[in-house]
Formats: sequence, structure tokens, C-alpha cells
Amino acid sequence: MRGYLLKRIPSALLVLLLASFLIFAILRLVPGDAAEVLAGPDAGPESVAAIRGQLGLDEPLLAQYASWIGDLVRGDLGPSYAIGGQVADLIGDGLGATAELTLGALFFTVTLGLLFGVLGAASRRRPVRVVVHALTTGALAVPPFVTGVLLVLVFAVGLSVLPSGGRVGLLEAPDLELQYLLLPSLCLALPSAAVLGRYLKDSLERAFAEDYIRTATAAGVPRRRLLWRHALPNALPPVVTLLGMQTGQLLGGAVLVEAIFAWPGLGQLAEQALNRRDYPVVQDLLLLLVAVFVLVQLLTDVVYAALDPRIRWE
Amino acid sequence: MPSSSALPLDPLTRRTALRAAGAGALLLGTGGGLAGCRSAVNAEEGSAGPKRGGTLTIAINQDFTPALLFTQTGQSLQNRLIYNTLIRYDDDLEPQPELATSWEYAPDGKSITLKLRDDVTYHDGRKFTADDVVFAVENLRKPERSAQLAATAKAVTGFEKRGDHELVVKLAHPVSNLFDLFEFMIITDRHSVEDAVKGKKLNGTGPFRFKRWRPGTGLSLARNEKYWKPDRPYLDAVELRVYTQPDALLSALRSGQAQLSYHVSGKHLATLKSSSGFTIKQYDTGNGAVYVGATLDEAPADSKAFRQAIAWAVDRDRVVDQALGGYGLASAAPWPKSSPAYSEANRTHYTHDPGKARELLKSSGVPTSRTLPLGHPTTPLHTAIAEIVQYDLQQIGIKTELQPFDPASFQKKLISGTMPTLWVNGHGFAQVQPATLAVSAYPFNEARNTSHFRSAEYTEAVQDAWRQKDADGAKAHARYQKISDLLLDEAFIIDLAVQDSVQVAAEKLRGPALTKFSYLNLDDAHLV
Repeated sequence: MRGYLLKRIPSALLVLLLASFLIFAILRLVPGDAAEVLAGPDAGPESVAAIRGQLGLDEPLLAQYASWIGDLVRGDLGPSYAIGGQVADLIGDGLGATAELTLGALFFTVTLGLLFGVLGAASRRRPVRVVVHALTTGALAVPPFVTGVLLVLVFAVGLSVLPSGGRVGLLEAPDLELQYLLLPSLCLALPSAAVLGRYLKDSLERAFAEDYIRTATAAGVPRRRLLWRHALPNALPPVVTLLGMQTGQLLGGAVLVEAIFAWPGLGQLAEQALNRRDYPVVQDLLLLLVAVFVLVQLLTDVVYAALDPRIRWE
Repeated sequence: MPSSSALPLDPLTRRTALRAAGAGALLLGTGGGLAGCRSAVNAEEGSAGPKRGGTLTIAINQDFTPALLFTQTGQSLQNRLIYNTLIRYDDDLEPQPELATSWEYAPDGKSITLKLRDDVTYHDGRKFTADDVVFAVENLRKPERSAQLAATAKAVTGFEKRGDHELVVKLAHPVSNLFDLFEFMIITDRHSVEDAVKGKKLNGTGPFRFKRWRPGTGLSLARNEKYWKPDRPYLDAVELRVYTQPDALLSALRSGQAQLSYHVSGKHLATLKSSSGFTIKQYDTGNGAVYVGATLDEAPADSKAFRQAIAWAVDRDRVVDQALGGYGLASAAPWPKSSPAYSEANRTHYTHDPGKARELLKSSGVPTSRTLPLGHPTTPLHTAIAEIVQYDLQQIGIKTELQPFDPASFQKKLISGTMPTLWVNGHGFAQVQPATLAVSAYPFNEARNTSHFRSAEYTEAVQDAWRQKDADGAKAHARYQKISDLLLDEAFIIDLAVQDSVQVAAEKLRGPALTKFSYLNLDDAHLV
């Protein structure tokens, strides 16, 4: 197994190296650099040249690339060019904010998904099923930028019970942070909750049609027990698989929701960094994404190899 | 096919449905569930007392950029909160004391003696002295600071200190915009300026101390207990919160989460105007102006008649009404009403007259068959203006193709002089002494500008207006008129409208004010 792992690592490193080169090259092809952004709209060439010199952008491209990779290997992400502060801090803060938002959304996805699924499948009242169906259809059909605006209008502007946007930090003021988190995470979660709810409803309906449920019903097992103890546990495994995929979508969708709710996550950071041509921030962010992808692939390969010895022997 | 009614589960009937609905409501009401704790909405409002105390939250549309601390940008509100300047202009551009208590020009205009306050300390406790002013001027000269008033700072040739609180500033030649420099130049701590441009430590003498800057979230400031103005400021703290999306910024104001903003978009101003709870104040000193630029080394923009035809063709009132939300002044000249160079004749030199524009094109024989590129930044404001310009030019037979550029690409083209034949953008620096526009704003710079316009006459007029001691008076006005005449005649920059700074404040907020360079002054601001 160790030998298999050792064989896979060089190719993973090669992918990372190639990705770093591509990221670096593509960014340099985009018009404008951080020096021109920082110089402002009334700057002369001497200002641009001075700032370029300060940032090291006047060095040959290969030297810039080598310097970036060298710093990365040493674990030093260095300072941001245009946003300000250290890249590691910026990415760390952004990652924390996005993770918090995604976890909040995951909570709502699971809770509302279960609610929709169970009510949709198990209620014998037609109006309840119709309402659930309408809610899930609405949650799927209405895009988050509309849901977000509506939520803000109702809960922040109309009722004034929740903040319209921003973030204070979970460690600094947990009670306030939860209030800031509520609307963006709900907005992000609604489409996923609808998908999950519908999938669970189908899954439960299939479970209810199984013989063992009919037998248990005939044996006099209470109906509530039937649902929670027998049908639901059997319906959940495929739903859990779907939840894994939805989590990835939540992370992607967070970018849009962050903008609506002024949530300072990775999406906002990436947009700001790209607009200002903040090369270190954009480069490190993109490479981080590639690294996560490569790591997941590597782990998947290892798990497959652990499960199927033939792969190890190949 | 399984049916949802395959299993009639009694417990999941109406009662269960109601329970489930209740659970959903509980989730949505988690905010209410946290009501025992503080409210995030109320926390934003702060513990407002009748006069003293409270936290003011300001909604801004772009984050503080430490590296641009010495450059005038679209968001420089924090400069007069953390720092002070030597003087402040009143509404008539008369300098009033700030850190400089008095000043005296030498008769030849080649030096000025400043008397400085002796009771000022930085937030870290260090005393403010003349050395800090010397540093501030020298700092602005550095090209990496990219300060628009660098040309004026470079006219300073030396200093003579007379004790800690008197300073003679020597000049290579008189400059009519010296007080623009003194209003523009924030007095930073010379020992920590490198930390300041990294956003780590902003040490000033202003009414609020720097507490923290969180990129993407904003700046947190706290009251400076040792501020040199007695009993000021009233507010305990100021938060500058970033809302990059116009809708999010509007919601922050409408929900009471923020109480002040200068960045509400034109279309949203109309919404706020009709709703209660806000006061909207216009600063007609201007927030810059919007214009159509022409690249003179590309045909047909090399023809003066062609450029003048464009100046006649554009409906400036429509630009003000539709793009600026009504908060602006249609004007063919760059000057706001408060400028010494302003005149009604200059403002209305070109009006909307498509017939005259067509006639001018016809008589000059300039070919208009080619579709011309019309560049603009991708911001909603500039896109809206570019569309209006495109339509108006089409009415006189000039076909254009819109070329949107993201702000960084646009800025590259602007400062490197590689703009397309025509472009739409905004400029600043007409709100202070007129010479500043021509020596500091790149589109108008006589030595080097985006349009590639060169003229000995223009250079002479600009230098003549700049190298004077007196910024006011009949002679000065004549010199400014000369610049206006050249700008209007040559039309390499075709001004469309002066933009007002628009302040949207909650009704309970009193006393915020902007300086001429859009630094926010909250010395007298309080929540009622």
C-alpha cells in the first residue's frame, strides 16, 4: 500500500506544479497589473514604475514565478499586493467565513430537507403534501439572488429582526454572529434543501412500498415507529450520498450569496483580488483549490486501492 | 410506482404538520430565539444618547485600501477621521485653521510661514511638531505614494523650522493651489507610515483612533479621548462597513444597520427620497464630473469640429436625470458652482443641439462612416452614460460600438494613453482651485494626458494660472477663463455633468460633513 501511495505522490506533485505554472501564466496575460491599479487614475509612469519596483513586478517573469514557488515551499505566502495584509491571513479569514456559511447552510439543508421529505412522503393530508411540493418547487425555481433580496426585505428591512448583511466573527460575538449567519445560510440552503427533500420523499415512498414495512404494519408496529425506526433509516443512505454532492454545490453557491449579504468569504476575496490584480492572493487561492482537488483524488485512489487489491498490483 | 398515500400514518396528519411547520418557524425565528442576547440590528445602532456616545456605522461600497492612503480614491472617508490636515476649506474655498492656526505668505509668494497647534498629540501619545509637516510634504513627493497633489508638493524646495511649532515652507515658485495641498495632505505619523500603508497601524491626530481593519469587512475606529478639539468628538465609535453590492448597501441603510452613506447609487437614491427616516444632502461642490474623452491621434477624433459636434450632440440633462439620479449639474465645463472658474456661460457653452452637431459634421467634411469604439468601465454608472452617449451620437450619424473594460484594464488604458477613439469616464479635482485640475487630474494634464493633446497655448495658460500666489481676484479669474476657453474650444475632454456628492443619513444623525476631497469630518456628528 505504501508503495502504491509513493507511486501516486509524484504525479500529484506534477499536477500541482503544472497548475501553478498555468495559473501564473494566465494571470499575467490579463491586462493591467497591481502597480497600475495601485497607482490610481491620475498616475504618471514614474509612479507606476516605482510601485512596480516595490512589488517586484519589474523582475523577469521566471524570477517572479520562482520567487512565488520558493516562498510557497517555505510556507510563506507573503503580503498581498493591492488589498493589504498578509495573504495567509486573508485566505484564512475568507476560508473561515465561507466554511461557517457553508456549515450554516448545511444545517438548514439537512433540517429543511428532512422536514420536506418526511412531510411530503408520510403525510396523508393532501394539502400538506401540496404545500410541501409548492415550497420545494419555489425553492428550486427561485434563484438565490432573488431569495436573498426577499429575505432581506422581510426580515431586515420589514421586520428589523435580523441584520441585512455583514459579519462580526464567531469568536468575538457568537450571539451576534448567529444572527448575521441566519439569512445568508438559509438563502444558500433553500435550493439544496428542496433537492434533498424531494429525493428523500421518493426514497421514503420506495421504502414504504417494501414488504418489510407491510409485514411490520400487519404485526401492529406503531406507525410513527415504522417511519423513524424502519422506513427512514432505509431511505437515508442514498440521500446521504446526495448530501455529499450538495455540499460541494453549497461551497460554489456561497460566492453569490456572499455578495448579496456582504459576507467576507473566499468568493468576495477572490473577486476583490482579481479586480485589483492582486497576483499573490489570486494565485494562492487558485492553487489551494487545485491542491484540495488533487488531495481528494489522491485519497479516492488510496481508498479504491485499499478496497481492491488488483489496483495495487497493477 | 409508490404513492405518497401508500402508508397512512396517523401521527403525521394535521397535528404533525402543524408541529413541523412550528419547527420551521422556530428555525426562522432563531434570531428571535437569540433575543435574550443582544440584537445584531440594535447593536449596530449603538447606545445612542441624546448628544454624546453611540456607534455610527457607515456603509461604503469599496474597502479601505491601505496602499492608496495618500491617493484620492472613490473611498477616502477615513482620512479625516483618523488624521487631520493643516487647513480645511470652507464653502467659499477660504482656508480655515486645523493643525495650522495661522499662515503668512511672503510678498513674492515663494514662501509661506505656518504656525502650528502646540496642543496636538498622536493617538500613541507622541507630540505633533513641525517635523511631521516636513515629513508629510516629502512623503507626498515620492512616486510610489501616487498622490495627485505631488506636483504641488514638488514645488516645495525647502523648510525652515522655527521651533517645534512654526515652519517656513519654501517654494520654487508661487503656486495658486498651495492650500489645496494643505487640505489634501493628511498628517501621518512619520515613524509608522510604512505600517500605515500596510493597514497594520494608522496613527494620526484625528478624532478617532484606529482599532482594526478587517479586509472585506471594514474599519473599526474608537473615540480619541485626547483629541485637540475640546469635548469632541461626540461619538464613541465609528464602523465603516463594506457593501460591494448596491442592493446590499441600500438594505443596510433601510434596515437601520448603517446610518450614513455617500455611495448610494443614482437609481436607489430615488427609492430613499420617497421613504421616511432619511435625510439626503447634496454637496454641489462636486464629486468629480463625467466626460467623454477623445484620443486625438486617431481619426476622426483628431478633428476639432468632430469633437465639438460630439459636445453638441450629447443630452446632458438626460445624463443627470437617468444616470445620476438627478443629483448633478449638466455642464459643458468641468467646474462645479463653488469653483472660482465656474460661470453660467461656460456651463452652457454646449447644449443638446443635434441639428448644430450635424451641421458641424457636414461643414467640416469629417467622414463618419466608420464605426468607432467607445470605451467605458463596467460600472453601472459609466455603462449607463456610455449607452446615452452612443444613442445621442447615433442621432447625428456617428456609429459607435461599446467597449466595456473591467476597472483594472480601463485604468491601465487610461494612464498608459491607450484608450480607444472615444471613451466615457469620470474625473475629479475641479472642486478646488482650478489650477489643480490641470496639473493633477491626468485627463487634463498639460504635459501628458490620455487624449495626447498638446498645445503650447494650453501649457502656457495652465502654468500661468498655477504659478501665481493669488488664487482669487479678477486677474486669477481671467486666467481661469483662459483655461476654460481652451478646454471648451479644443474639446479633447467633453464634460457632460458635474456629479454631486450625495449624503444619505438616518434622521437621528446630525452633523456629518465632507471636506473638499471627500474626507469625512465627524467632529460635530452625534446621534439624537
